Amino acid sequence: MKYQKIGQPVRRREDARLLKGQGRFSDDWSVDGQTYMAVVRSTYAHAFILGIDVEVARSMPGVLTILTGDDARLDNLAPIPHSPLPSTKHDMKLEGPNGSEVFIGDHTLLPTDKVRYVGEAIAIVVAETLAQAEDAAEVVSVNYDPLPAVTDTAKAAENGAPTIWDEVPDNICVETFFGDKERTDAAFAAAQDVVEMDIVIDRVTGVPMEPRAALGDYNLDTGRYTIYAGSGGSVRQKREIAEVLGVEGDTVRVVSKDVGGNFGTRNRLYVEFPLVGWASRKIGRPVKWTCDRGESFLSDYQGRDLVTRVSLALDDAGQFLAMRADNLSNVGSRMVSLSPLSKGSGLITGSYDIPVAYLRSRAVFSNTAPTNAYRSSGRPEVTFAIERLVETAAAELGYDPIELRRKNLVSSEQMPYPNAVGMTYDSGEYAKSMDMCMDLADWRGFETRKKEAESRGMLLGRGFANYVESSIGTPREQAEIHVRADGHIDLVIGTQPSGQGHETSFAQVAAEWLGVPVNTISVIVGDTDLVKVGGGSHSGRSMRMAGTVIVKAADELIEKSKKLAAVVLEAAETDLEFHDGKFQVVGTDREISLYALAEVVGRRSDLPEKLSVIEDNVMETPVFPNGCHICEIEIDPVSGAYKIARYTTVDDVGRAINPLIVDGQTHGGIVQGAGEALGELCAMDPESGQPLAGSFMDYHMPRADEYPSFKTELNEVPSPTNPLGVKAGGEGGTTPALAVLVNGFVDALRPFGVRDIQMPVTPRKVWELIKAGS
Amino acid sequence: MKEIEVTLTVNKRVHTVNVAPRMTLVDCLRDILRLTGTHVGCEHGVCGACSVMFDGEPVRSCLMFAVQAEGHEITTVEGLVGEDGEISDLQDSFWECHAMQCGYCTPGMLISSHALLMENPSPDDHDIREAISGNLCRCTGYQQIVEAVKMAAERRQEGL
Repeated sequence: MKYQKIGQPVRRREDARLLKGQGRFSDDWSVDGQTYMAVVRSTYAHAFILGIDVEVARSMPGVLTILTGDDARLDNLAPIPHSPLPSTKHDMKLEGPNGSEVFIGDHTLLPTDKVRYVGEAIAIVVAETLAQAEDAAEVVSVNYDPLPAVTDTAKAAENGAPTIWDEVPDNICVETFFGDKERTDAAFAAAQDVVEMDIVIDRVTGVPMEPRAALGDYNLDTGRYTIYAGSGGSVRQKREIAEVLGVEGDTVRVVSKDVGGNFGTRNRLYVEFPLVGWASRKIGRPVKWTCDRGESFLSDYQGRDLVTRVSLALDDAGQFLAMRADNLSNVGSRMVSLSPLSKGSGLITGSYDIPVAYLRSRAVFSNTAPTNAYRSSGRPEVTFAIERLVETAAAELGYDPIELRRKNLVSSEQMPYPNAVGMTYDSGEYAKSMDMCMDLADWRGFETRKKEAESRGMLLGRGFANYVESSIGTPREQAEIHVRADGHIDLVIGTQPSGQGHETSFAQVAAEWLGVPVNTISVIVGDTDLVKVGGGSHSGRSMRMAGTVIVKAADELIEKSKKLAAVVLEAAETDLEFHDGKFQVVGTDREISLYALAEVVGRRSDLPEKLSVIEDNVMETPVFPNGCHICEIEIDPVSGAYKIARYTTVDDVGRAINPLIVDGQTHGGIVQGAGEALGELCAMDPESGQPLAGSFMDYHMPRADEYPSFKTELNEVPSPTNPLGVKAGGEGGTTPALAVLVNGFVDALRPFGVRDIQMPVTPRKVWELIKAGS
Repeated sequence: MKEIEVTLTVNKRVHTVNVAPRMTLVDCLRDILRLTGTHVGCEHGVCGACSVMFDGEPVRSCLMFAVQAEGHEITTVEGLVGEDGEISDLQDSFWECHAMQCGYCTPGMLISSHALLMENPSPDDHDIREAISGNLCRCTGYQQIVEAVKMAAERRQEGL
């Protein structure tokens, strides 16, 4: 099918306001009479709470109330109902040790027993001004009885580690086995070669540029709560806030307009959102809370944090025979989401045809902030493991790394391809993407560039990685289409953009189907009084889920309108043709536009009141975006300073609805992955459990002067699983970036005896490795 | 705390406000003058989301007190828009190149890019990356921002 609007680089409609400073972010909301909340947070990683003395704080100027966990208990506030276990049809299902039920533990808003990480909320102070609230929060005195703490993932799983939850003395809350142990053991026993690596993908955090914020406004007359708070999906937030407050769903309205970045961090509910609603009810005035950056570093749900041992069995010709993996994921102190462990578990074999595999997937509690899905949840970790392992196998067994990959790649003919742990890849041309990317990167010219760099005293390394990732996500989505007589069409949808341009790309799809200009479609998201159903935005689901249900709704609208148009035009339905947003009686000049029809329908009593449809869709089948990235890194051996000289990608996102937006997603994704490879780290003091990165002075965010411009191309292989052929474009940039960069550094530093480098690869680390190996 | 009267010019309009001595300039712009286009990203002067023009120079409004703005002239992102409500050529280039995603850092990016083009009408990639290196963007990977600034510069050179 030849599309007119789908596939075009349409300028984004949301930019009209964002460019002028007229966006509506969470802290931009203010209501009359609002007060301000400050949060008292734990200064210990692990301690009993013996008492909280609020008397001095209560007498401070402007203080309206101070609330603790005891108050929350008296008011029967429920814990957050996180549902951390991935449960859709195709998710990798996780269980507790020995097949037991997974222990989740209550995520109470304000704990009364003990604190489990530095930064955990313990009490809230509400005052007339923010300064007064912060001043009073400073003098709330918490009496702690400190306990030994553990933050390190492997250490938390060791015998004798401090126990985070009494119910789980050894901290291991998940232990699940996947694949075929017997056949894997047999393949390893018969293998010519076995290569093994221990890999640590450390803790990072999402750092959306807009800190979290929430404004709670309880209406005494109606008994309704309005919570203005940006997130990854307001329908879920509404449901969970209502459950925490113990009220019916529609008693809560959540409003989420512009969201300043998410990357997974905002998908799950935070304690502060119900807290502002509760506090507003307690004092009878609106309550506003805005996180500062230090609080974000302490209390945002964080990402990654996987320890794994992987091994690969090969025959004497380099054919992969089997793989083993032992994955240990750090869920932090409270179990918010097991998505990273589950997502990664399904993709340990990566882009390669490995006949059998055996995997142990475990999760462990620790005295750290909870973890959650973070851009490409779980997939960068396992992509890192397999691509580092293949690279190492090639180096140690004397294979050309490209040839070794080609030999073992899943072929197009094998699609749909069931991998060894139970995922079925929908489609893709892995070999073609490799070829395209190597051409684009001028693979053959590398040796010349390397010599040239060496002539300047520089080292040049080249990194390569393939990837395949999975887009699953909440399977249900709903779209409403309302045609308005004034020449506009409202499209209501339950996803939540935070920069992905839904107002534009979704409008492109609807406009394509209805044959109207893109700018006549208004996409409505984020206000639960308007959006009743919706799965939010995560796991690359939005374009695929929304695109599919929009197409379905648009078809339904045309069908429904046709009947009405037949009545209005006094013609047989079979004589009507729909094109360019209007119905025409074939062979005549008699026609009526959707808008004119909406106007007629609105005033004629014999026809339905509105030209509207509501369509639901459930789509369980996952899709598997994939591709290939190549980088070149130039290193100054004297100082260890480096620069990324080239970075090239070919990504299969399925059909790209708006390539301008997809390019932006790819660029941003690369840098977000590279940030982790090169500098980002939630460093923690191993003894005290104190986070050492609490500001932008000590958490290295990627900056413009550290990156080159990238060469990115698409190899669009439409997915057979949905009508538009969409896969996903948001995570492909990030997924292989960690692996491709570290492969590049190892390539450059191999002459110095370097086999592996722990991320983040800082210039200092590079310098030390060069020094040690010289 | 005793409030202090401050008179400052923001986007060519003179305002007289009463502020606590410890109130930052960005809080004054956002919470008192309700100019919420200028954003707060870190409050320690690293991220650049709060950048504004201060007497023609880009500054971080989270690192200044409102009282320090007495008698000074400030331009925020809202002030980059022409009096007729039309966006500037720089804003238009940002739009064309898809130089923003979530849009939170965008006001600061526009201010830093605006300041760069006043000083250097024909910057190369390196100059642009250098000039915006004090503005953190988590979404774009910076490339489309660099392209946008270059496009604006080229169009000015060509007199378009």
